Amino acid sequence: MWPDIDTILLVIVMLVKVGVVTIILLNLPIPLTWLERKVAGHIQQRPGPMRVGPHGILQPVADGIKLIFKEDIVPAKADKLLFMFAPVVSLVPALCVFVAIPVAESVTIPYINKELTFYVADFNVGILFILARGGMGIYGIILGGWASNSKYAMLGGLRSAAQMISYEVALSFSAIGVVMMSNSLSLVEIVESQAGNLFDWNIFYLPVGPIWFVIFLIAGMAEINRIPFDLSEDEGSLAAGFFVEYSAMKFSLFALAEYTAMVTIATLGTLMFLGGWNGPVDIGIPPIFWFIGKTFVLIYFFMVIRFTLPRYRYDQLMTIGWNVLIPISLVLVLVTGLMRIYL
Amino acid sequence: MKEKKGSALSCLTDILNKAFFIDFAKGLKVTLGYNMSKIVTLNYPDREKWIPYQRWRGLHTLNRDPDGRELCVACELCSRACPTDCITVIPMEDDTGRGIADRVAKVWEIDLVRCLFCGFCQDACPTTAVRLGREYELACKDWSSTKRDRQQLLEEPEIPETLMGGVYKASFVFNKKEVKVVPDLTKKRKNFW
Repeated sequence: MWPDIDTILLVIVMLVKVGVVTIILLNLPIPLTWLERKVAGHIQQRPGPMRVGPHGILQPVADGIKLIFKEDIVPAKADKLLFMFAPVVSLVPALCVFVAIPVAESVTIPYINKELTFYVADFNVGILFILARGGMGIYGIILGGWASNSKYAMLGGLRSAAQMISYEVALSFSAIGVVMMSNSLSLVEIVESQAGNLFDWNIFYLPVGPIWFVIFLIAGMAEINRIPFDLSEDEGSLAAGFFVEYSAMKFSLFALAEYTAMVTIATLGTLMFLGGWNGPVDIGIPPIFWFIGKTFVLIYFFMVIRFTLPRYRYDQLMTIGWNVLIPISLVLVLVTGLMRIYL
Repeated sequence: MKEKKGSALSCLTDILNKAFFIDFAKGLKVTLGYNMSKIVTLNYPDREKWIPYQRWRGLHTLNRDPDGRELCVACELCSRACPTDCITVIPMEDDTGRGIADRVAKVWEIDLVRCLFCGFCQDACPTTAVRLGREYELACKDWSSTKRDRQQLLEEPEIPETLMGGVYKASFVFNKKEVKVVPDLTKKRKNFW
């Protein structure tokens, strides 16, 4: 017995969406590495990559070709299986997260009256899914550090694990804050609750919204191992940290996972605090462009921070996590709850 | 680590500084300011080329007097002064007015691999025939290009003697025959360094 036409159509549309999202995500590091190197260059008064393509736009492609042809070295006493799997383990959860991320509100296609949604799946516990999947990415780092049979790699992995435990809590708390402000766990509904003008966004839910946003940004940056929290790949003391033994495409898979994680945090910030695809003013720009624009601003912000702040010391990192962020978030949960009840 | 106990006010301002990310904002101001500022990197070889100041010691030139006669009298003082012995001069007699004297150079050859661009030859030259010019792109692919003879050195240099040094717009020529950067001497980059 054949399923009816609607079901077949649904499956086809979903497969197409999965394909599109995957292709976009796997290609995102190309413009992002270029952008990061450009930002780095311009902050240091140099042009960055200039020679491959106009303004060096094809530089990441050239780098990719170079990485493919590099020798793939596995250290002699490394755990071969884990060493092979670690990059995959770190990349898959990073890509997995995007199943639950909506990018624009659904539109009804004229003539056939079908609704087209701009997400692969609308979980009613979208935030939980994303946090759980995002948290799994750390296994790749720990496994990679452990399997390399190198003290630097292992220290990087250990640091990363400790950092993860500290900051996952604060990140989840900021998600709790958003859930309380928006009354839903589904990302689509969270965005819909912020519809309207600028002051309906969660970041402007005064006085707690901005503080939640700052906590989210700090914890998010720690979560994706970016400066000032990139202790797991601390060049100064650990050479390159957990991927010190990796080369060729395995190395680039780690880089890919890192950039995907950065995009994840930027999109999450956009969805949870900056109103998702809702524009601050209604000037007829399609919603998806608002979404992309806000995400881009956050990504740019992360990149500028990378060249602004020095790296924190390990104990400072722990202090910020446990003594500052978590107590503040606990108080904020209380305040937000009271505001929801009495206002 | 022991810290000095400040007054209550300084403690308060410290906490406020941390709470409102004042230092972070200052850092962002610096980086974003530099982000907007002008790039100081020389875009060589694609779009710009640095032309050295006039006293630069680059590839040698053999010069002529205003009437177009060779200044070189083949006295061999340059070859004697040369610490690396890289200049070969063989004199000959020629009274057709090729040089300023009857004695002219039959061969005047310099081995650029040995030359260390010290400038002793131009100091030794009694007629200012040999000068060190401003050409500095001397990389080459074969040994024949490392030697320059009289004919090559006598050619008019691409950069006129009177031109001031600086950074000029340029175009990059890259093909099988040659690799060089051709400057456009009318367009000078302003405020360089």
